[in-house]
Amino acid sequence: MAQITDILRLSFRDYSHEWRMSGCFILALSSVLAPMMILFGLKFGIVTTMVNELVENPANREIRPIGSGRYDDAWIDAYRNREEVEFIIPKTRALAATIQLKSDTSKRILSTELLATAPGDPLLSDISSVPQDYYQVILSQGAANKLNVKPGDQIDASLARQFDGKRERVHLFLTVMDIADATVTTRNVAFVNLDLLIATEQFKDGRQVPELGWAGNSDESARVYPSFRMYAKSIHDVQNLVAELEKTGARIKANVAEITTVKSIDQNLSVIYWIIACVGALGFSFSLGASLWANVDRKRKELSVLRLIGFKSGRIVLFPVLQSCYTALLGWLLAVLVYLAFEYLINFFLAPRLNLDQALCYLLTEHFLWALALTMVVAVSAAIMGGLRAAGIEPSDGLREI
Amino acid sequence: MTIVYSLKNVVKERLIDGVGFRLVVPEIQIRAQENIALVGHSGCGKSTLLDMLALIMRPDSCEEFSLHPVNGNSDDLGKLWERDKQSKLSQIRKQHIGYVMQSGGLLPYLTVRENIELPRRLLKLPDDDSIDSISRVLGIDRQLDKLPGLLSAGERQRAAFARALSHRPSILIADEPTSALDPITAQKIMAVVMEVIRGLKITLITASHDWAHVYKMELRTLKQEAEAIEGGKVYQSRFTD
Repeated sequence: MAQITDILRLSFRDYSHEWRMSGCFILALSSVLAPMMILFGLKFGIVTTMVNELVENPANREIRPIGSGRYDDAWIDAYRNREEVEFIIPKTRALAATIQLKSDTSKRILSTELLATAPGDPLLSDISSVPQDYYQVILSQGAANKLNVKPGDQIDASLARQFDGKRERVHLFLTVMDIADATVTTRNVAFVNLDLLIATEQFKDGRQVPELGWAGNSDESARVYPSFRMYAKSIHDVQNLVAELEKTGARIKANVAEITTVKSIDQNLSVIYWIIACVGALGFSFSLGASLWANVDRKRKELSVLRLIGFKSGRIVLFPVLQSCYTALLGWLLAVLVYLAFEYLINFFLAPRLNLDQALCYLLTEHFLWALALTMVVAVSAAIMGGLRAAGIEPSDGLREI
Repeated sequence: MTIVYSLKNVVKERLIDGVGFRLVVPEIQIRAQENIALVGHSGCGKSTLLDMLALIMRPDSCEEFSLHPVNGNSDDLGKLWERDKQSKLSQIRKQHIGYVMQSGGLLPYLTVRENIELPRRLLKLPDDDSIDSISRVLGIDRQLDKLPGLLSAGERQRAAFARALSHRPSILIADEPTSALDPITAQKIMAVVMEVIRGLKITLITASHDWAHVYKMELRTLKQEAEAIEGGKVYQSRFTD
């Protein structure tokens, strides 16, 4: 134990005494490691973000039937509970799902498409709460602009029908809860609670809606929807769901071709990245290993003196191993600092030009730790090999060189 | 006097620049407190024999190679080398042998004091005034806190002697310790060293190529003779009592 403490002290004294040489080793290590980290950071920043955006874009995960079908609540609930389904909500007939909107701040009466929404709707993932009753609405950006409204404003919604030979129109005051992001849709859309969508269809079909005081024929039949809006949990689930739905006779539209392209891009980019990463890691390992090996060889004379004085061979191996650990740790630290500086510069100057919402270059804490572990393993392995070689030769061979 | 080293038919062969070199020691016995000099021209095998006596070079073969240090157990070095008992050999070296190299061999990153106290630290010897007193005797007491690089060649050799003697070994091996110094400085240093080793009753084995120098120090010399054998392909050197 005493010898280990002495070796620890001696290796550190030698390392700090030769600070210029130690500094060169640290610089050499970090100049190989830092570019690798930047490459890795860019992969995560650009490739992962872009691929994730493609992979996670709700439009790529949307599954919708073409034409009319017959889907009851039980059918909808069954799919809602499926692991691979993120969100599903019924749609009513397209012609019955329109409403006229009018605001105090605009003269225009806007015919708007109604879409039912509920918590977890991928189209409204940026919005914290969705309409809970008949009187709330979230407008698409286009609709909000045309009506010149903002969240909190009230708008007049009206519906017209021909009933018992007379033309009727009902009004409803809706509160604008929020405005959806422009990327959600370019159409004039009002996202409402499913109850309001159903009520609209019932009114237009001449049925009564007691909750809103709209008169009409009574409706005893079970509710059946002609369509739905479904989103798979990931793009990898789309193909199976489409195939399953098509087996029931439904004609389904989904971005299967685009999904195949996205998956292919994801796979190809991953392969390219891993080739670069493996070649880089291999080069890094050889470069670091060779320089540390050379350092141990340079230290052979002094290691022989230590053996002459009486240090055991096993303890001698510890001397270069400890010095390699110092180099690995300090080199890694410098590489991290260099990387962080580049990360800041890249994200600050380049990301805005490319209109990317997310960082162009970033690494997770675990990536830094992996880099440290790789550096340590390579450094210690090279030093152990060099140290064993130094400890294996006769001390007299090393001493003759002093 | 007790026999410290006993060597019989010890052989070491090396290949130097394509020419074979063989060192043969038919029989040598070195007694406690003897002051021995290996004298011969450069390349005759003085350093090779010293390295074997210092347990830092393995002999190729030996009939007998044993060490009987004063106040220590006897060891069959031949068997220890044969069984590759490196830890035991370094233990013996650490405890009983002090070694001075031609160029001092001080560790450049430690101060003179730290260099000198290193063998004592390894043996866990008490932190008494041994280092100050040996440094005073060797005339380097004012250089103790300096790094070796700041010392003159003579001071470095004095420091190397101080390190080799700091743990009070019973054997001191010095390989041409003053060859890099001017004759006057060399003489002064060796005079002080001789005084110290006689006072401490240490066995000295040194190598030198300077007959006059050895003669003045009244050292017992081992006879050295050399011949070219095997058609001139091998240069053989023999050291005898």
